[in-house]
Amino acid sequence: MQRIDSNHMNERVFELTGYRREDFSVCLGCKICASVCTVNDLAINVNPQDILLSLFMGKAVDKAHPLFRYCTNCYQCTNACPWGIRIPEVIRAVRESLGMETLFERVFKGSVGIWGRVYEPYIFLKTGLFLAREGYLRYMPRWTGYMSFHLPKKVKIKTGS
Amino acid sequence: MKILIIGGGISGISAAKVALGKRHDVTILESQGVPGGLMARIANCRVGFKTFFDEIREKKGLTVINGACIEKVKRVGMGFSVGLDNGQVLDADRVIISAGLTPYDPVEYKGKRVLTSLEYDSVIDQRQGELPSDFHKIAFFLCVGSRSKEYPLCSSVCCSYTIREIKWTLQRAKPEITVFYNDLRFFGQEFFMERAFRDSGVRFIRANSRYFDEDDDGVTVRFYAGGGIKEERFNYAVLAIGLRPNPELKKLASLFGFSLNEYGFVREDRPLTTDAEGVYVSGGALEPMNIKDSILTGFGAGFLASMDGDTRDDLISYNNIIYREEPPAFDISDSGHNIYLFYLATENPGHAYLYEYVSARYIEAARMLKREKKDVYVVTRNMVTPSYAEIDYEQARREGVVFIHLEEEEQAFFDNSVFKITGCGRDITIENPRIIRLDDYIDGLKEKEFLSLYRSEPQLRWSPTKWNRKRYHIGFIRHPRDKRWEDRERLGAIGEITLNMIEERVLPQVNEERCSGCGSCKNACPHEAIEIELKQKDLAIFGPNPTTFIPIAHIREDTCAGCGLCVSTCPSDSISMEAQEFLGLENS
Repeated sequence: MQRIDSNHMNERVFELTGYRREDFSVCLGCKICASVCTVNDLAINVNPQDILLSLFMGKAVDKAHPLFRYCTNCYQCTNACPWGIRIPEVIRAVRESLGMETLFERVFKGSVGIWGRVYEPYIFLKTGLFLAREGYLRYMPRWTGYMSFHLPKKVKIKTGS
Repeated sequence: MKILIIGGGISGISAAKVALGKRHDVTILESQGVPGGLMARIANCRVGFKTFFDEIREKKGLTVINGACIEKVKRVGMGFSVGLDNGQVLDADRVIISAGLTPYDPVEYKGKRVLTSLEYDSVIDQRQGELPSDFHKIAFFLCVGSRSKEYPLCSSVCCSYTIREIKWTLQRAKPEITVFYNDLRFFGQEFFMERAFRDSGVRFIRANSRYFDEDDDGVTVRFYAGGGIKEERFNYAVLAIGLRPNPELKKLASLFGFSLNEYGFVREDRPLTTDAEGVYVSGGALEPMNIKDSILTGFGAGFLASMDGDTRDDLISYNNIIYREEPPAFDISDSGHNIYLFYLATENPGHAYLYEYVSARYIEAARMLKREKKDVYVVTRNMVTPSYAEIDYEQARREGVVFIHLEEEEQAFFDNSVFKITGCGRDITIENPRIIRLDDYIDGLKEKEFLSLYRSEPQLRWSPTKWNRKRYHIGFIRHPRDKRWEDRERLGAIGEITLNMIEERVLPQVNEERCSGCGSCKNACPHEAIEIELKQKDLAIFGPNPTTFIPIAHIREDTCAGCGLCVSTCPSDSISMEAQEFLGLENS
């Protein structure tokens, strides 16, 4: 656990989520969110309430909490929560304010910030090395297809059937 | 006077009882086929309701209209002309709204194996025959459809109802029972029941779940407890559903011209009175409340509606038999601490009756301290904030008071000016706080005679404020809880006194010639109403002492409940039962 200026961090989280502190400090501690959390399908013990509790106690958040890595933003917790606390948004905000996002996420957001859409050349330019190193490219068998859009017609590579 | 009571539930019937006793014409309007309301839907309460209703069913002046709704209302002078949907038109001088509560319907979770508490009630109802063959593991889930964003009030009865359902289940079978709770909000002596069930193997888990994976022969529930996620299979899952305001109240409000509050309940102008002239309110139309309180408010509204003009003088005339006490002051003297910690937990079920009162005081104090920019923690096993108190609790959470809920396995201890919570995966330390404990407050209350501690559940239900025949407890000394109840209890007590005055009292009489003063009646009396007195008596024989003292049983009328045990115990048949006039008001 890393100690940082927790109060400052917390304020930033509230700002990023567009949430006021009082909106998620209503947490009753009923652990309904943990019971429906899809991350727990992977046999990982997570309780989103841990994060909320350390936030409203003004304590440093445990960076190693599995939710920061595995949360899929499915909003099941928000649906089930009696108070409708938007936990995925809180998690995203903590990730952003603690600099826990991957390079890809940062660049993706940057692209949206600049062009208002996902502009692949920018993303590949910025993250190509990262994607190659982390082995993400094999999940994109047709990535050349995207690239061909920017190539002269003659050189266009035929892909697929 | 003609009094119209809308709603034939338990509070409507209680109001009718008082009004009939004052010899008014009473009409009960019930929208369903038979009177009964929510109370009669509970199998074990049906008989109680029927007995209570049978006492007035045949009374002159009572009309019960079943299966009818109000179509239009016209104000005629001080009264109303009420048109029903079957064409009937009723005249009423006073109206009592006792429309009751509507149970929440959890459609998204309900199924064949996931039942609501009312559905489960009919499963364990003896009249429905045998229990299902697979009745081995049952789970109860509290706070379904209450204490949430859309309905922020606590329903205040689901916990008590659940503990009774456990009792009724255990009377018939011995399944493994697990209770998933957020807070256990019991009333007085029910904390002893909780302790007894814990000892006999009922599991209590401080966690809740909405993960119900249901198939033909069971339901798999996932929950987070003890620092890890767990999956368990149950035969049945029971959802303790919340109680919400009756949607019909909206229509009634526009017809009669009274107003509702933001949660959909009737706004109480003065105690048990709406802001429309001549319209009174009782029971579940006020807020979610249990049967005891419904009867109490029913008595109160019945009394109010049957009084002419100003009731203030009447209230004063009852003051010598109504007993109230000011609660001891609760103050946190400023000690220069920056961190305050309220520790709301007790291991003694005999102290737990104070949870409700102390929770409210702690929340009040915590919010005040928070406004002074202090760090405030409330470490709690049970936060008992029923109905409207839940709003203050929510506000306190929003204002930044940190509530730490102790799990079952967790231990809290105070060590070298550091407060520590350990167990199940999380360690919380709070350094150098000023600690305020529940047990400290209790020390000043050892000698108090709280009515709710001395009376059993049925006694409290049918005579909600009676301490003895010359003393009726209201407010803090009846049961420690929110201040708004005291005024309602005052009216309820007067209603109850009215009923007791009407009732013919049957009290045992001692035949002093035959009594030998053996004391067997004294030993038999469950109410300690008999004492052996020494009576002076002249002796018929000559001697140095012409008079002597002989022991004779004396029955204290104010304590005697008229149960008749002494009559059957007396070896010389010298006690007999005789009808007597009620003596409660002879001093006034």
